[in-house]
Amino acid sequence: MEERVPANLKRQLALAVRSIQWSYAIFWSISARQPGVLKWGDGYYNGDIKTRKTIQTMELNADQLGLQRSEQLRELYESLSAGEASPQARRPSVALSPEDLSDTEWYYLVCMSFMFDIGQGLPGRTLAKGQSIWLCNAHFADSKVFSRSLLAKSASIQTVVCFPFLGGVIELGVTELVLEDPGFIQHIKTSFLETPYPIVSKKFVAAGNTRNDRNVACAVFDQDILDNKLIHLGCEELDIISPNNSSNGFETNLPAEDSFMVEGKNGGISQLQSWQFMDDEFSNCVHHSINSSDCISQTFVDHEKAVSAPKGELLNNHSLQDLQDCNHKKMNSLDLLSDDVHYQSVLSSLLKTSDQLILGPQFRNCHQETSFVSWNKRGLAHCQNPVGETPQKLLKKALFEVPRMHVGDLPQSPEDNGYKDGAWRPGADEIGMNHALAERRRREKLNEKFLILRSMVPSNLKDDKVTILDTAIEYLKELERRVGNLESCKELTEVEAKTKLKPQDTVERTSDNYGSNKSNNSKKPPINKRKACDIDQMETEINYAVSNDGSTDNVIVSITNKTVLIEMRCPGREGVLLEIMDAVSKLQLDCHSVQSSTIEGIISLTIKSRFKASAVASAGTIKQALQRFTLRC
Amino acid sequence: MENSTQESQHQQNSITHEAPFPLYSLAISPSPTRSHHYRIAVGSFIETYNNRVDILSFDPETLSLKPLHPSLSFDHPYPPTKLMFHPTATTSSSSPSNPNPNPNLLASSGDFIRLWDLRDHSIEPLCVLNNSKTSEFCAPLTSFDWNEVEPKRIGTCSIDTTCTVWDIERCVVETQLIAHDKEVYDIAWGEARVFASVSADGSVRIFDLRDKEHSTIIYESPQPDTPLLRLAWNKQDLRYMATILMDSNKVVILDIRSPTMPVAELERHKGSVNAISWAPQSCRHICSAGDDTQALIWELPTVAGPNGIDPMSVYSAGSEINQLQWSAAVPDWIAIAFSNKMQLLKV
Repeated sequence: MEERVPANLKRQLALAVRSIQWSYAIFWSISARQPGVLKWGDGYYNGDIKTRKTIQTMELNADQLGLQRSEQLRELYESLSAGEASPQARRPSVALSPEDLSDTEWYYLVCMSFMFDIGQGLPGRTLAKGQSIWLCNAHFADSKVFSRSLLAKSASIQTVVCFPFLGGVIELGVTELVLEDPGFIQHIKTSFLETPYPIVSKKFVAAGNTRNDRNVACAVFDQDILDNKLIHLGCEELDIISPNNSSNGFETNLPAEDSFMVEGKNGGISQLQSWQFMDDEFSNCVHHSINSSDCISQTFVDHEKAVSAPKGELLNNHSLQDLQDCNHKKMNSLDLLSDDVHYQSVLSSLLKTSDQLILGPQFRNCHQETSFVSWNKRGLAHCQNPVGETPQKLLKKALFEVPRMHVGDLPQSPEDNGYKDGAWRPGADEIGMNHALAERRRREKLNEKFLILRSMVPSNLKDDKVTILDTAIEYLKELERRVGNLESCKELTEVEAKTKLKPQDTVERTSDNYGSNKSNNSKKPPINKRKACDIDQMETEINYAVSNDGSTDNVIVSITNKTVLIEMRCPGREGVLLEIMDAVSKLQLDCHSVQSSTIEGIISLTIKSRFKASAVASAGTIKQALQRFTLRC
Repeated sequence: MENSTQESQHQQNSITHEAPFPLYSLAISPSPTRSHHYRIAVGSFIETYNNRVDILSFDPETLSLKPLHPSLSFDHPYPPTKLMFHPTATTSSSSPSNPNPNPNLLASSGDFIRLWDLRDHSIEPLCVLNNSKTSEFCAPLTSFDWNEVEPKRIGTCSIDTTCTVWDIERCVVETQLIAHDKEVYDIAWGEARVFASVSADGSVRIFDLRDKEHSTIIYESPQPDTPLLRLAWNKQDLRYMATILMDSNKVVILDIRSPTMPVAELERHKGSVNAISWAPQSCRHICSAGDDTQALIWELPTVAGPNGIDPMSVYSAGSEINQLQWSAAVPDWIAIAFSNKMQLLKV
């Protein structure tokens, strides 16, 4: 600690700044090593606090807490600016890390790095002139007047007051707009700084109140929140302090305090909410939660100008760059003034070291420029859009097509296909797969039906589908024609002889079907087409002819009451079952059950059926009608 | 102190490797070799049977990136869908039972997971992880992820709707889960036993190996059945993950604590997004690359503004960027692949 700073100055500053509820007090003293230069002497921080990391072993009062915080900030600054050697090792010695600081604390911390020639800067001019300077709207001040205006902006410091004191300069700052009041300075001097035992008088509470007038101070929404927080913190301290120091002074203001408390709570809540989404590692979360919505879009417009040092470093310095950039934007002063250089270099040197804490040592030596440029909306105009290309072409190929390549590759032999389909879990275009399967099943069924159809119609040797359909059409026409003939014929016979029995009719009709074989029975000329079928089946027929002796045993018909049991064996061929069933139904029999089995190409059939109400055929007729199947096929 | 003269003028501070064929997959070794070089594996993307994986050497000190001499490469039947080095270096102390028997392992996915042993002058195929004992058939793998916490674990995802967890020490399947209703396109480990996957069914699901019966859907694409193609889990802050949709310029940021509602959607790409990667050294930064030839670095704000989130910085490549890796090994370099080039970009 500087020897020129009076021993109890810190305590006095603390009392003064807390009683008036300002954010900070700094004592700028003449440097012992560089006469004529004002440098940081001492200070007390009373502003917004982001995180208290200290584990408190005992209850500290607000007084001690405040002093402790100021000490911690100083320690942090010293460790940041000193410790190049081992960034990892120095960390534990410091209670605070850069991530724990609020914007105002950052401001306070960075102030520690400033030095002013006498006559230069706000403190320098104060000392040179020997009179106090009251700066309202410090955050909008020209940087020639107030070199820390950008920084003040980031911390929302609005009012800064400097006055000469004990050969140095005391600077007070607050985040709200406080109008100039010479008596105020005088009172601080007399009440706190020059009096060993501070007395809080009503007047200063009143002064504090005017300051707390939010209507004056808060035009901007985000400022609003910040104010709330500050007031909140302030109120807490007031509460704690009031019994000790100045109970009489505060009583009259209780209602006002209450309202502030409520607001403070709101502020606290919003703060809490935003902290939930914040990562503790980032120092400027508070700033983000408040300002980011405004700032982000403009973040990098002035990037080139504003960011001098922390190139290639990604972390929390960016948020400060945001800050700077926003400042520029809002101030509409895009030109950086020379005074900012100092502040920027301090910032960047601080941040650089803090970055290394996070990034690790391997990047310290890396001075490569970044490949990236700051993004801006105008930049987008230059970027060409690939036209006509499939979006995500390669990605899609990798995800959609490459797997297909493997699948196509895997089955080495073509027979594998069916098997592979089995192994395929429904996937890819599941729909497509299912569709393919369904399509195949449909085709299989179709072919099956065509085969059945072919077996039912007198077939050519050619058996392509068109021929089968043609034949079927011809055959159906032929049958229709003959049905017509028969019906007219039947009418005739019914008219001619009513005595004729229906079974005979049946016989006639069935005889048509096997007429070609038993042509003698047939009234009609044999159907040539049926013969073609026979040729088709020639082989079977010949084979069967060998075993055809005693073929009468092949059809057994037993009739009990109206139930007819038919047991028959016949050579198996396609469609034979259908033909048999057709024949059975033509015999006016209603089938109840059919059992069939095939052994060595011979079909064994057991048909249980009933006569339809009117029709009664003899066992012989039935047997005769069915025997043709056993004979020929 | 005085470095204000520096301009952040754009200089081509990138290192380029050009191959005779299109490149897609790439991986950066998690730890340097004895000569302090990092190995980078790049896989070709040729739509035939003869693909190749080359091993390059990258020296961050001298900024040299070149193929090894003698060249180190191996043939890969079809294009590898992903390459990854054994993640040992990043978690050296996590598995004391397994004191790093082979840190120079490289895995590639395609029809199977293949493990390759990278030696000083040769690459030997180590084993093929094949699930199907009974048949030759194994559904092709779209992606995989090596578990950093438990490096003996590899999770694969496949077009057959399953995710499979392998024990690579024993070369056996640890478990197989029918993860989705459709093809699974990407998988990412969060913890030793927790992984998430994205699928053509449009969902992001989280699985816990301790409870295989259930999965948690934490996001579903807004249009039903818009496939989700890639997934990146924020290793710095496991609450967050990012995914991309088919034919979309969006990067969707998810917070697993608030399922179904993305916490942010990054929509400044002018074309579809092809790849995403979280910053290895920061939980708030993510890089994305897409068809608009741009790689964008985003810083996620605490509260999104009304006009959406703008990226922090941008890099324009010559053509559509297909691949992106932001490796913890060299966190101030981002590797991208476009056309037949692999480029390292200084962050």
